[in-house]
Amino acid sequence: MLKKKMLRDIRKNLSQFITIFLMVFIGVMAYAGIESYMDGMEKTANKYYQENNLQDLNVMGANFTEEDLKEIKKIENVKDAERKLTLNGTTDGDRTLLLSFIETNNISKFYVFEGEGFNPESEGVWIDKYYADENNYKIGDEITIKYDKIELKEKVKGIVNIPDHVYDVKDSSEIYPDHKEFGVAYLSINELPEYFRIFNNVMVDVDNKDKKDEVKNKIEEKVENAIAVTNIEDGASYTSYQGEIDEGKTYIGVFSGLFLFIAMLSVITTMTRVVKKQRVQIGTLKALGFKKSKILLHYIGYGFWISLVASLAGLVGGYYLIGNFFISMEMAFFEMPNGAPSMNISSYIMAVLVVLTVSFITYLTCRKILKENAAETLRSKLPNVKNNSLNITTRGIFKKLGFSSKWNIRDIVRNKMRTFMGIAGVTGCAMLIVCAFGMFDSMNYFIELQFEKLYNFNYKLVLNENISKENLNKIEEKYGANTSKTLGIEIKNGDIKEANNVFVTDANELIRFVNKDGEFTEVNSDEGIYVTYKLAETKGYKMGDEISWHIYGDNKYYTSKIIGFNKDPQNQNVTMTRKYLESLGVEYKPDSLYTNQDLKDVKEIENVELIQDKNALKDGMENMLQTMRKMIILIIVIAILLGAIIIYNLGILSYTEKQYQFATLKVLGFKDKKIRKIFTEQNNWIAIISIIIGIPLGYYLTDWLFKTAIEEHYDFGASIKMITYVIAGVGTFIVSYVVSKILARKVKNIDMVTSLKGNE
Amino acid sequence: MEKIVEIKKLTKSYKVGENEFNALDNIDLSLNKGEFIVILGPSGAGKSTLLNLIGGMDTPSKGDILIDGENISKYNEKQLNDYRAENIGFIFQFYNILPTLTVLENVELVRDIVKNPIDSKEALKGVGLEKHKNKFPSQLSGGEQQRVSIARAIAKNPKLLLCDEPTGALDSKTGVEVLKLLRKQCDGNEGANTVIIVTHNSLIAEIADTVVHVKNGKIESVTSNEHPKRIDEVGW
Repeated sequence: MLKKKMLRDIRKNLSQFITIFLMVFIGVMAYAGIESYMDGMEKTANKYYQENNLQDLNVMGANFTEEDLKEIKKIENVKDAERKLTLNGTTDGDRTLLLSFIETNNISKFYVFEGEGFNPESEGVWIDKYYADENNYKIGDEITIKYDKIELKEKVKGIVNIPDHVYDVKDSSEIYPDHKEFGVAYLSINELPEYFRIFNNVMVDVDNKDKKDEVKNKIEEKVENAIAVTNIEDGASYTSYQGEIDEGKTYIGVFSGLFLFIAMLSVITTMTRVVKKQRVQIGTLKALGFKKSKILLHYIGYGFWISLVASLAGLVGGYYLIGNFFISMEMAFFEMPNGAPSMNISSYIMAVLVVLTVSFITYLTCRKILKENAAETLRSKLPNVKNNSLNITTRGIFKKLGFSSKWNIRDIVRNKMRTFMGIAGVTGCAMLIVCAFGMFDSMNYFIELQFEKLYNFNYKLVLNENISKENLNKIEEKYGANTSKTLGIEIKNGDIKEANNVFVTDANELIRFVNKDGEFTEVNSDEGIYVTYKLAETKGYKMGDEISWHIYGDNKYYTSKIIGFNKDPQNQNVTMTRKYLESLGVEYKPDSLYTNQDLKDVKEIENVELIQDKNALKDGMENMLQTMRKMIILIIVIAILLGAIIIYNLGILSYTEKQYQFATLKVLGFKDKKIRKIFTEQNNWIAIISIIIGIPLGYYLTDWLFKTAIEEHYDFGASIKMITYVIAGVGTFIVSYVVSKILARKVKNIDMVTSLKGNE
Repeated sequence: MEKIVEIKKLTKSYKVGENEFNALDNIDLSLNKGEFIVILGPSGAGKSTLLNLIGGMDTPSKGDILIDGENISKYNEKQLNDYRAENIGFIFQFYNILPTLTVLENVELVRDIVKNPIDSKEALKGVGLEKHKNKFPSQLSGGEQQRVSIARAIAKNPKLLLCDEPTGALDSKTGVEVLKLLRKQCDGNEGANTVIIVTHNSLIAEIADTVVHVKNGKIESVTSNEHPKRIDEVGW
């Protein structure tokens, strides 16, 4: 019979139970969805890397011989090694292809979608799936591949994914991969003319990951042709993907945790109220002789079943809606097969915790009521008020307040917990809205900083590696001598060697620098090096410190003094002037040239590998933001939804509790309008207080996210526009106001007799 | 005559703010089995406190309460619960029936508590509500709701039927109907059921076998009605 009672009670208080359901559902869905997305990213990659044997080390060099390969294979803990020739080629329509010529394919093995696997004897080309899809290539189609003077006509043998090419872009200034214009192609080395069969890369697979550094050192020691040995974890493809996971884990994890927390605050308040409202019924059951345990179980059931069903729905919704949504978005960015969300054990634990918490709160509330004797329980309980706490409205400025304000102050004093929970919930939502919009602003600020302040050029010319001095002079004469060079270096920090790069500038005013506050600063001293603030912060560098470094491919170490700092939003490195580099005895041979001339119609420049339009780079960046925008919109939608539900729930709680008092006011002759005003006034106060607290908290949350959670090589904090605060504040207030207005309409329908009797 | 209730030196004190006051002050009282007993007194006299203590809904500060020879004042919470379930039927001024259960379900509820309840439909028939069995409390008048509460109480077949102002919220005509039902409980079961009514309405005392007058937490008098009036004879 009590089951029937429970079902009917739920039906009777449907709106409250629906809000409890929705809050648990949304909270768990957001949490489980984001977790399943993050975990899915990780598991998908682990499985793929494992099954397709991603290499552990990359050895770079100019020409690896058969002997070098044998030497590497002989090193202890080396399981296997394969040589590869990697080049940037072009293909039909002047698109760029990253070409790899291989002998075997046991390391970084293809995942074949269509066609066949690699066969060294087979003529043909294997291309990456996105490039094939974007350009409509099918098995058997012919592609022309060009490199320098070599031209190969190859049939597509396979459409594949390659573990080493999860993320690849045309060059480092591009962030969002353009799969139409850039692709990855693998061919057998036998396709090249004999004289060209050289290898500039060896992929090494080790049998014990802990011995990687030892293997690395031994290769450096034994293989003369090896210029640099890098861990796969330092490679662009691997780090970009991993970075996304690490970033997401804190970054979005914070949101999911907050959503759940805010939702739970509200659920707990509501559940407590629902049970308290049943006080007389609990007393009646007790008076009838129902066992305490039976009554407890009955009421725990309210919280338990609702939260159980909502949590289960949240888990399913999280996996299928949010998890799939994010994963499919990521997989448009990263090239990896079988991307799927994965339900994380922590989501199940969280769901169980939610159910247990709700049940436990119900239990505590019910137990508290049951502790009283039956006779006491049957009496309606007046709120516990300290005698003098209500005097607040009879003193000082409060004395002059109108009836409505006094009434509301007293009501708040009497219902501190409900008010506190309401403020906490709405504050959380205001904070999330500020943060979500703030992320937009901050990203836009970052783009502006990068492309308007730091990049003071219109075009960047990537120079040919082998450009002669005369040809360089010619280009400089025509486009201006504003150049730079980026060198791969290794910095020695105690016993640890870390890869980094040094940006050598001779770009004059076309590349500018800023200080911590985004104000222009000069990088013009030829006495030492400049490091970025974030690099200095993470490595503990101070002004005047000396660091020891060497250029990759050259074992000579240099010691340089830190003479200044600069802020770089997306690259944490070392900067020096051309003169300083030359003073160390290193030749300055630029790799890039910057110009403000109009090169809109220039397709090709001799000795220039690539002409980059700054606006195109900017567009690429904005493209990436487009992806982020979707995520942020989802966060905003959840925040607003949750906020509206919390405000509605709070409203309905306070309305139900005040119904009797409103009925009394109505009997006394108060007009509906006046009563509605009393009701909405309190909700408005709560909204305003929450907005005042939530907005600065939103700023700090955004700043914290960018500063600590984001990938190591980025450096930008929150930069939120005033209008964002206004939107978040006004938006939150409007939601609160509309919800209060809707609820206030109920005042008209208060049946004075029933309300007053109901309270007896 | 066999005693159903024996109260010895019973005190019940409450704390109000910093002061303690005695709702019942060192009282002694014996009540006979099978009688229709009315506890009469003004508001705040301690009538309801006395009823709650007899019914095991509250515990005394001092003294003993013997029900059918068993000292319930020594009972712990669980024992009190069992005592209520097996022996007591409560009828309240404001009915206290569960609003989300139908009339029949409200009565059937006692099947979850007692081993041998009276058939719920029979109990409803006894109070004349068999036609309304599928209605919800909100669809009934006050008198009808009180009859549901009586049906629920008698379905337990309790030794003691304790009624706290059972007609307090009803008009006089409906009140008479309810009193008739309660008297029937007392008269109909070969003296096995005792009915105790708490009221401030002195007219009800005229139909009682025994009238207990309570004032300021003390028993003022206990009088036996040799010839209680029939309900219809009282000038309501």
